[in-house]
Amino acid sequence: MNPSFKFFLALIISLEISLKSSLCTNLLIIGFALIYLIYKHIKLKNLLLTLLMPLIAAFTVFATLYWFAPQPNLQNALSLSSRVYVYTLTIYCVSIGTTATDLARSFEQNFHLPSKFAYGVLAALNIVPRMKTAVKQIRTAGMMRGVYLSFWSPVLYFKAILVALNSAENLAQGMASHGYQENAKRSVIVSIPIKKSDWLTASIILLLVNLALFTLK
Amino acid sequence: MDNASEGKTKDFTSSGILLTIFLVTKLIKLNNLTFSYDKENQILTDINLKIPTGEFSLLVGPTGCGKSTLLKILADLYPKFAGHLSGTVTLAGLKSAMMFQSAGEQFTMATPREEIIFALENLCLTKAQYEKRLNEAVLFAQIDYLLDQKINTMSGGEQQRVALAVLIAMNVDLFLLDEPFASCDPAARKFLIAKLAHLRDQGKTIIVSDHVLSGYEGICDNLFQFQGKKIVQFAPDEKEQLLQKSMMAASYSFALPEQNEPNCFTLQNTRIYQNRLLLKQEHLNIVAGKTTLITGANGVGKTSLFNALTKMLPYSGSITYHNQEINKLATRKYLLKVGQIFQSASDQFINVSVADEINLSKKHRTNSFFTDEKINETLSYLELDSLLDHVVYSLSGGQQKKLQILLMLISDQDVLLIDEPLSGLDAVSAGKVMTLLRKSQKTRNQTLLIISHELTNLADWCDYHLVFQDQHLSYTNK
Repeated sequence: MNPSFKFFLALIISLEISLKSSLCTNLLIIGFALIYLIYKHIKLKNLLLTLLMPLIAAFTVFATLYWFAPQPNLQNALSLSSRVYVYTLTIYCVSIGTTATDLARSFEQNFHLPSKFAYGVLAALNIVPRMKTAVKQIRTAGMMRGVYLSFWSPVLYFKAILVALNSAENLAQGMASHGYQENAKRSVIVSIPIKKSDWLTASIILLLVNLALFTLK
Repeated sequence: MDNASEGKTKDFTSSGILLTIFLVTKLIKLNNLTFSYDKENQILTDINLKIPTGEFSLLVGPTGCGKSTLLKILADLYPKFAGHLSGTVTLAGLKSAMMFQSAGEQFTMATPREEIIFALENLCLTKAQYEKRLNEAVLFAQIDYLLDQKINTMSGGEQQRVALAVLIAMNVDLFLLDEPFASCDPAARKFLIAKLAHLRDQGKTIIVSDHVLSGYEGICDNLFQFQGKKIVQFAPDEKEQLLQKSMMAASYSFALPEQNEPNCFTLQNTRIYQNRLLLKQEHLNIVAGKTTLITGANGVGKTSLFNALTKMLPYSGSITYHNQEINKLATRKYLLKVGQIFQSASDQFINVSVADEINLSKKHRTNSFFTDEKINETLSYLELDSLLDHVVYSLSGGQQKKLQILLMLISDQDVLLIDEPLSGLDAVSAGKVMTLLRKSQKTRNQTLLIISHELTNLADWCDYHLVFQDQHLSYTNK
């Protein structure tokens, strides 16, 4: 499916789920998302992590509403806590098979997001692995000179921010030197089309979610 | 031939000659160019310069003289992004693109293929044109095996090749290259210079800044040198003389380590991976208290070896430091014994100003070699004494390198792993830095491991020479 379609579909579903509570719909969405993920052959480790990580948040919500609320309501508590899973799993489905580059290109081509924003975000994402290496290197550089920088040390982050600022400055110049101009026309070499099937799939999914949301409890 | 057609031929010939003259005399002109980053210090003062188009020009000069600044002005990045400029710059209608000194920071996208697509989309090219240009660029820089690899996992030399490939794909008229071969091995350097000469023959204008003059003889058409705040052009015979001089490559000879020498590091069945297998070493001893030079092609894994030795990169098998497995040693204590001087100087800095950095290194020193007096003396020897209140990141590439090496010498490591100590340094600074390293090594009996592509000033005082190739390190006497 078109990356932007996937993204907006997940966004709309999440919004609707937040506004109207329906435990059955939540469970159905969770079920279908899991089937989709398994169908896409994601690694078992990733799947388990995705199920375990939101557990803390989901459990907290459940505990608050069921054990500590003045009028405990099991249905309500389950519905609210299962939302956490709806959010994480739908977003996981979006991220499967869609790279950040595809999403940025799709936003630029299909939804006319300013290229400055699309590529700025992309470049920032590409800096993340560089920042990881940088943080490791900063800590090593510190230890070599008798300074231990713990993970909460302000010096570490000050230095990391300096590295980021420096990279950002170079990046802006680098983009310009590779022919990028704000607001200038750009051609499309890798096109991200919107197919009829994208409209069809998105509409069917939305329709089903809404049907479930308004008919099931 | 009748008269009429003869006249026509003549017309064609004369217009051809006129056209040629017109093309040859097209010049890049700088008139009364003055540039400063802040109000006080002018980097370039009243520069008048004519650079012929369609030729290969080389820009040389001491560290911090403004080579990168001039290239960025020509690339139309300054004063757009920084600084104040007066005077005029005319590029003779050429489209220009620039390759930065730290090539790795120039990319927007994650892989070379994506970056080329990004650049060509900016130039409004079609898909068919892109495919043609991509092939040309890949062939030119020989990066087919790197095309879909993440740029941030590549070695410095590989990143420089990729940066060059992007410029080739963009098919600009004016190539501005800021120390484009600083992390390239001699073979890659020779290959790329020949390729650039080929581009020049196709009518492109090439302007390269470099500290190393080898490999340019017979190829470079114009040699410009920064002298103080002025730029002078060498006369053709002077130029050839200077380039020839650097061509006379000295041959070096090294000793081979003896069996019974004390070892600093011992490698046993060691494997190092980064994206691919880089090192597969049955056995190797690195001698303590000596200087060992490590050479090898780009991307062979030299820096990764250093990263494994400073515990930044995992390894399998065994690496011991004075017979103790380095994985089992406490990192904080170990790094006070074994230090790395990174390829990129700014990675070494912890503080903001030059003075703060010096004070930090002073705090932990226990050696008697670098007394306060000696440090002040060295600062002025390296021409850093007037920069004490400067922010370290605002120094030029070469000044950062000098400061970085000084900082690591003041702190107390027994072993220093030095990655490309000469990159970004002019001949005079390189000589000074090497003298300093050598003195410190001798007096304090340090173990130095040095990666360098540039052997002048260095190879004649290294004790041993390790060659890194085919995933293997071996001693050589050449």
